[in-house]
Amino acid sequence: MITINLAQNQADAIALLEAYQGGDFSYKFEGKQGIRMKFSVTGDPEQAGKKAKDLIKSQQWGTNLYFNVMIG
Amino acid sequence: MQAIQSFMEKYFVPVAAKIGSMRVLIAVRDAFVGTLPVAMAGSIAVMINAIIRDMPGQFNPDYDVSAIPVLAQIVAVNGFVWQGTLAVAGIIFAISWGYNLSRVFDVDGLAGALVSLATLIMGVQFAVPDGPWGWLPLRHLGAMTYFTTMLLGGLSVAIYIILIKRKITIKLPDSVPPAISKAFTAIIPAAAGLYAAAIIYYIFSLTIGAEGTFVIDWISEVIAAPLLGLSQGYGAVALITFLVSLFWFFGLHGPNVLAPILEGIWGVGQLNNLNAFQEGGLQAVMANIGNPNMQEATFLWVRGSFDAYAWFGGSGGTITLILAIFLFSKRADYKTIAKLGVGPGIFNINEPVMFGLPIVLNPIMLIPFILAPLVATTIGYLATIWGLVAPVTQSVTWVMPPFLLSFLATAGDWRAPIVTLVAFAASFVIWAPFVIAANSQKEAE
Repeated sequence: MITINLAQNQADAIALLEAYQGGDFSYKFEGKQGIRMKFSVTGDPEQAGKKAKDLIKSQQWGTNLYFNVMIG
Repeated sequence: MQAIQSFMEKYFVPVAAKIGSMRVLIAVRDAFVGTLPVAMAGSIAVMINAIIRDMPGQFNPDYDVSAIPVLAQIVAVNGFVWQGTLAVAGIIFAISWGYNLSRVFDVDGLAGALVSLATLIMGVQFAVPDGPWGWLPLRHLGAMTYFTTMLLGGLSVAIYIILIKRKITIKLPDSVPPAISKAFTAIIPAAAGLYAAAIIYYIFSLTIGAEGTFVIDWISEVIAAPLLGLSQGYGAVALITFLVSLFWFFGLHGPNVLAPILEGIWGVGQLNNLNAFQEGGLQAVMANIGNPNMQEATFLWVRGSFDAYAWFGGSGGTITLILAIFLFSKRADYKTIAKLGVGPGIFNINEPVMFGLPIVLNPIMLIPFILAPLVATTIGYLATIWGLVAPVTQSVTWVMPPFLLSFLATAGDWRAPIVTLVAFAASFVIWAPFVIAANSQKEAE
């Protein structure tokens, strides 16, 4: 499980991660409370978290977002 | 409060996000960030010289570093580092700008960097009337050339990008190695961009520059001077402080979104202060405040001033919030977050607090998060403008602990940490009632 604290573009981030098919990880949105969004992941959660961060940052809408990813 | 938040989310945040994701502005931001490794090396050189060459002189008027073995050599070595970095910051920025502008439009960055650099050098004074020919004066290679680079370098690189995109290029067979093929592809677009800039320089030399004015000087006078002049007013300083906080609050990276302004205006001012300090210490900086010649002008409020007086513990002055939580909070969750946040907070990293409490999108925290840095900035600004403390003349990395940061940024002015302390106390007074209010919020829940 990873938690992404993100205030903006939440729907974009959910769609992006759930559609990710890199083969190394997969993400399933489990729910959110305010800015906290929980995702269940396959593979090493720490690496999956890093990947999620990179994926969001690489989007045009993600370059200026202020967010963090926590494990668990 | 909820209505304001909804309004901001509906109208302000999307516009801010849109602006923040514009490719040209991303390129501007990345161009400034891209110069960081070299700029920091130069800043470290100037700071070491400030510590061993200039600071001791405040306490011992007979101090002469050139008479002290080892230290004299360190100062000399630092001089070389400065010469290759901050003294020619304009060259470094031109390369970074061309590279990043090309990169955000997905074309070859190296060729773009070279086009931008060549465009800058076209505008540099190449000869002195009745004097030597073929030398490049430093005044045309420093931070004040940023504006020329962004405009004319931007134009030539834009032409290069457009022609590449439209495939108006030399095409070589697939058997040609990629490195050669890439260089040949860029020939026509690069030449077109450079000729466009050259024609502008030429027309300028026949018209506005007929009396010997250079484009770089003219742009400094017409564009840089008003912008930098505006940056010294309290309104502009307060507005940028307010906007940075507002962006953070709504989950956008404030300094990133505002980097073109923060780095492009206040950052340029800071580079001028650094260069003046390297050349003549604090005296040279103070002597050139308000100098109409933008290449030599220095400034009271620069990019590092915000870090020194407003953003201790991170944006919002949140280290004072952590202190207020330790003293007044009855909430276990707040105390846990404060314990987690205090370590990073000492180094101005406030992510645990921003997302842990949270502060982001938390209506109860909006007012202090905006007000505390505004008041802190006001204190730092007034102290600097009234001459109670030396202006920031050194670049110090933002992760430097707060009081040390202002001490080093002002090249060792002992009054600077005191000003930071006053700002710190004011922030604490602003945060404390909201921490207490959050106690009752918990009880209500």
